[in-house]
Amino acid sequence: MSITDLTSMGEPQTEIRKEINDRLCKLQDEISDYCYQCGKCTSGCEAHKLLELEPHKIVALLKRGLIDEMVNSDVIWTCMSCFKCRERCPQKIAPVEVLFALKNMAVASGKQIPGNYTALLQSVLSIGLLQDIKSVTTRDNKTKNRSDIGLPDISKPTDSTKFQMMISKIAIEKV
Amino acid sequence: MGNKIGVFVCHCGINIASTVDVKELVNYARTLDKVIVSKDYKYMCSDVGANLIKDSIKKNKLDGVVIACCSPRMHEHTFRGVVEAGGINAFNLEISNIREQCSWAHDDKDLATSKAKALIRGAVAKARLLEPLETSKIKVVPKALVIGGGISGIQAALDLAEEGHKVYLVEKSPSIGGRMAQLDKTFPTLDCSSCILTPKMMEAANNPNVELLTYSEVASVDGSIGNYSVKIKKKARYVDIDKCTGCGDCIAACRLKDRISSEFDEGMGKRSAIYMPFPQAIPLKCTIDKEHCLQLTRGKCGTGPLCVESCEAGAIDFKQKDEEIEVNVGVIIVATGYDLLDPQSLYEYGYTRSKDVITSLQMERLISSSGPTTGEILRPSNGEKPKSITYILCVGSRDETQCTWCCRIGCMSALKHVYLLKEKLGDDVEINICYTDIRSFGKGYEEFYRNIRGMKTNFFRGRPSEVRNAKDHLSIDIFDTTTNKLFEIKTDLVVLVPALVPRADAEDFARLLRISQSADGFLLEAHPKLRPIDTFTGGIFITGCCQGPKDIQDSVAQSSGAAARAANILSKKELEAEPLISYVEEDLCSGCSTCISVCAYNAIELVKEDDKSHAKVNEALCMGCGACVASCPSGAMQQRGYKDKQLKPMIEETLKK
Amino acid sequence: MKKYGLYPGCVMPTEQYALEKSIREVLQLLDIELVDLKGFSCCGEPLKSVNQMMTITLSARNLAIAEKEGLDLIVPCPMCHLALSDCKRILDTDPSMNQKVNKFLEDEGLKYTGKSNVFHTVEILHNVVGIEKIKEKVKKSLKELKVATHYGCHLFRPSEVGRPVDSENPQEIENILKAIGANPMDYPEKLDCCGGLLNANLPESALTKTGQKLQKVQEQGFDVFIDVCPWCHRQYDTKQKKAGETVAAKLEMPVMYLTQLLGLSFGISEEKIGLDLNLSPVDKLKLGGK
Repeated sequence: MSITDLTSMGEPQTEIRKEINDRLCKLQDEISDYCYQCGKCTSGCEAHKLLELEPHKIVALLKRGLIDEMVNSDVIWTCMSCFKCRERCPQKIAPVEVLFALKNMAVASGKQIPGNYTALLQSVLSIGLLQDIKSVTTRDNKTKNRSDIGLPDISKPTDSTKFQMMISKIAIEKV
Repeated sequence: MGNKIGVFVCHCGINIASTVDVKELVNYARTLDKVIVSKDYKYMCSDVGANLIKDSIKKNKLDGVVIACCSPRMHEHTFRGVVEAGGINAFNLEISNIREQCSWAHDDKDLATSKAKALIRGAVAKARLLEPLETSKIKVVPKALVIGGGISGIQAALDLAEEGHKVYLVEKSPSIGGRMAQLDKTFPTLDCSSCILTPKMMEAANNPNVELLTYSEVASVDGSIGNYSVKIKKKARYVDIDKCTGCGDCIAACRLKDRISSEFDEGMGKRSAIYMPFPQAIPLKCTIDKEHCLQLTRGKCGTGPLCVESCEAGAIDFKQKDEEIEVNVGVIIVATGYDLLDPQSLYEYGYTRSKDVITSLQMERLISSSGPTTGEILRPSNGEKPKSITYILCVGSRDETQCTWCCRIGCMSALKHVYLLKEKLGDDVEINICYTDIRSFGKGYEEFYRNIRGMKTNFFRGRPSEVRNAKDHLSIDIFDTTTNKLFEIKTDLVVLVPALVPRADAEDFARLLRISQSADGFLLEAHPKLRPIDTFTGGIFITGCCQGPKDIQDSVAQSSGAAARAANILSKKELEAEPLISYVEEDLCSGCSTCISVCAYNAIELVKEDDKSHAKVNEALCMGCGACVASCPSGAMQQRGYKDKQLKPMIEETLKK
Repeated sequence: MKKYGLYPGCVMPTEQYALEKSIREVLQLLDIELVDLKGFSCCGEPLKSVNQMMTITLSARNLAIAEKEGLDLIVPCPMCHLALSDCKRILDTDPSMNQKVNKFLEDEGLKYTGKSNVFHTVEILHNVVGIEKIKEKVKKSLKELKVATHYGCHLFRPSEVGRPVDSENPQEIENILKAIGANPMDYPEKLDCCGGLLNANLPESALTKTGQKLQKVQEQGFDVFIDVCPWCHRQYDTKQKKAGETVAAKLEMPVMYLTQLLGLSFGISEEKIGLDLNLSPVDKLKLGGK
């Protein structure tokens, strides 16, 4: 027999739900089945007031197996990863980790990564860090950089070829 | 000794028969030495099965029986009766568990049947060596001890007293009454709690069969069912209760008047060092708190203790000491009640960060006309009437990080408060309830919930993440799942409904009585469905919230049940002692005392006879656990029905190829 | 002198120079030796949304580098500290993950066995150096400055992973501040998030979170706002002006790193603790000495 969500005409994606729950177990988080929708996560969510993220709803949709609509949405990218939901959940569920799983899935499925995550990724690939050394402006409008301030050389991966090889291997890995 | 053994194999419907070939077992058993009868039946525990066994015993003049069936935990007791009714000693019976230990544990029919054969073979080997045993008698002391003087303890004591049994009712606080005395009204009938409680308290005080031992604690428990000897510490009140009239002049005169936080008022009010917990206390006598009294802690109280000056009856006696008494009882009923989870465990709700965040029990004291504000609802921070009160349910309940269980009474208490608060503060007071589920399961509860829904109560289905202090109020964000909207509640008073937890000393107390706790820390019942009042220790029963959270009517019902279970024992002059107990082969015993050190029931002692020391088992106390037998290095300690010479052949036969 | 490797992360060594400077100065004064190791990369936590496997592997390689030198790490950035701690938790308890990740590390000749531990600067100051020693080093009174502390979400959550301070009522920074004569006070928004992580894709929302909290702190009359995280500081200090514009409020709250305030109270010069790099009005405090 079947279950159909009449809004999206979608049916529960049981395999993908299992994949996400397995991933949560692997990282030693509680699976979504135990959620009883108390809403404590959403009541305290730092991203809710501003960006309408509803962590309890994310978990409910996962329970229901309606995953595509979340993976394809923009709202999953509004999470600030403050971890308040994970900290306060009475059933030890971590909506923040479910969101990370959904975001990873969106990226892996070829969806466009929002914002400048791509730039950050590329920087890590080329120099091992999110960004290169910047010049900063002081309060009295002078320009200074790292050596001006008397700090030693920055630490970066010593063999960038080997580092890049490793990164490109991981790029196609899932948890 | 079994020379004519009957083997009876049960199908247990399909529980055994679907995995084990019963017919083959029957045929196999017939081939074993000394087995003269071998039969099977679908349900050996039924009347037909029992008659089959009885008739076989009589017809074949059997002297030993082996029943291959389910676990002895299920029907050994019943089958002993059957065998005895058939005419042989109840202990010439050996049960072979071919269900839990065979058919339920395996899938392969051939292997399971072969294993069952081995099990039966071993059982028959033991049956050949079984000896008849006589049950000895224990005299029953026809008195009861009830520990805990709340409504549960009072009800149990009154029921037992009414049946004519003498009851000691021990209560550790200065008055009986317990939690119910702290409540204003009870749900769902809105009866005045004191009005329905005090008549029972008076009955308990006046009933000639009940001896009240208030301000007393159980210090030690020895003995076993039918014969417990209990040491009780009667704490010193420093007040002569024969002289004290309960007039209260000393309370008004005390130098520390209104300076000490009142436990009865849950810290919402203050008392003196000499105090009466509440106006309807029974016994109506004063008590001096030795932790705070200046005379007792510093040796001097100003120019002289003012209580002594004011007491016309001359009842104050600072020289009083704790007294220890010993009582003998046949049964013990435990009714020690509960505590509330300290909401500081959920720091995010701001308990202690604001005076205006209180617990539901503290609100009960505010509502109560005998409470610290004489029934006026006032904000603790500024003493003004609140315009808005917000309840947060399930604080620490149903929570994997705190208490995993439901407190059972939280929803109904909060609904009851709504009614009483609207009555006191007027219809327009804003009352918000943040709930996850409303559990209004009992008789009349759903009707009560409906009434509250009709009383302009703001129900929010959701759980706040935190309570924040604002300048002159408290701020709560709550996502309401019914409307899918986030609400900001600005409120004057926040009431947290915390989880119900076992008393802080539950673990020590359980050890004292040698009873167990369940995983949640409440006292453990023998079976959650069919024996919810018994414990695993014979003669000790549990009732009320010490067994698990429940409301007043369930506590009262359970207490009457406990009284009935206890009366069952007290109405007998004697009980049959467990015959499968240990005994000492005195010639083999070297007096090393290893058995004494492992006995959990203090049932073994060292005696000196003819210049030699050896162990001796007290048959009334031995519970037949076998720990001493296992620990005995010389084999001098044996257990009847499980002697080495009975078990060795059983093992050898079972393992034979 | 206790020796630790310094794991700088990305944001601190490339733009939040004041944190690095003040940490180096203060820890040296407190007899903690910092060793600079070569070969570190990003911890991977900001990329967790993109590929969590990468995060775990990047953290593992950094821990492996520390292991090679036989050093424990001081990790000033709470986000890095969380990444490294979580990586340790997973790899130390799940042999299959451990094996999988170590296979990746082979390319660079690294191996993770879990020998190195990670510490945050607050832990080092509070637990290793200790309050008494901090008191001894105080040269300048802080005139009972009313301080609002900001720990940063990743320093105290999620407690399940093991964090250096309590998740609902952390007091370590308060204790350190009291030791140097300041007056830290509790405020309802203390545990609120700076929004820093949203800089990557929703920078205006990030600034809104930042501005809202600073506004509340300002309203409550605090003299100074103390933080320990480069992501948070970037929001509260470096971008304070923009945050003010985003929430339409005039924000003039002095914001400093804890180690900067410590440095000032220990008598270290403004220059040495990088006070000129703070863009918030720290001169209001009139604490500096050249």
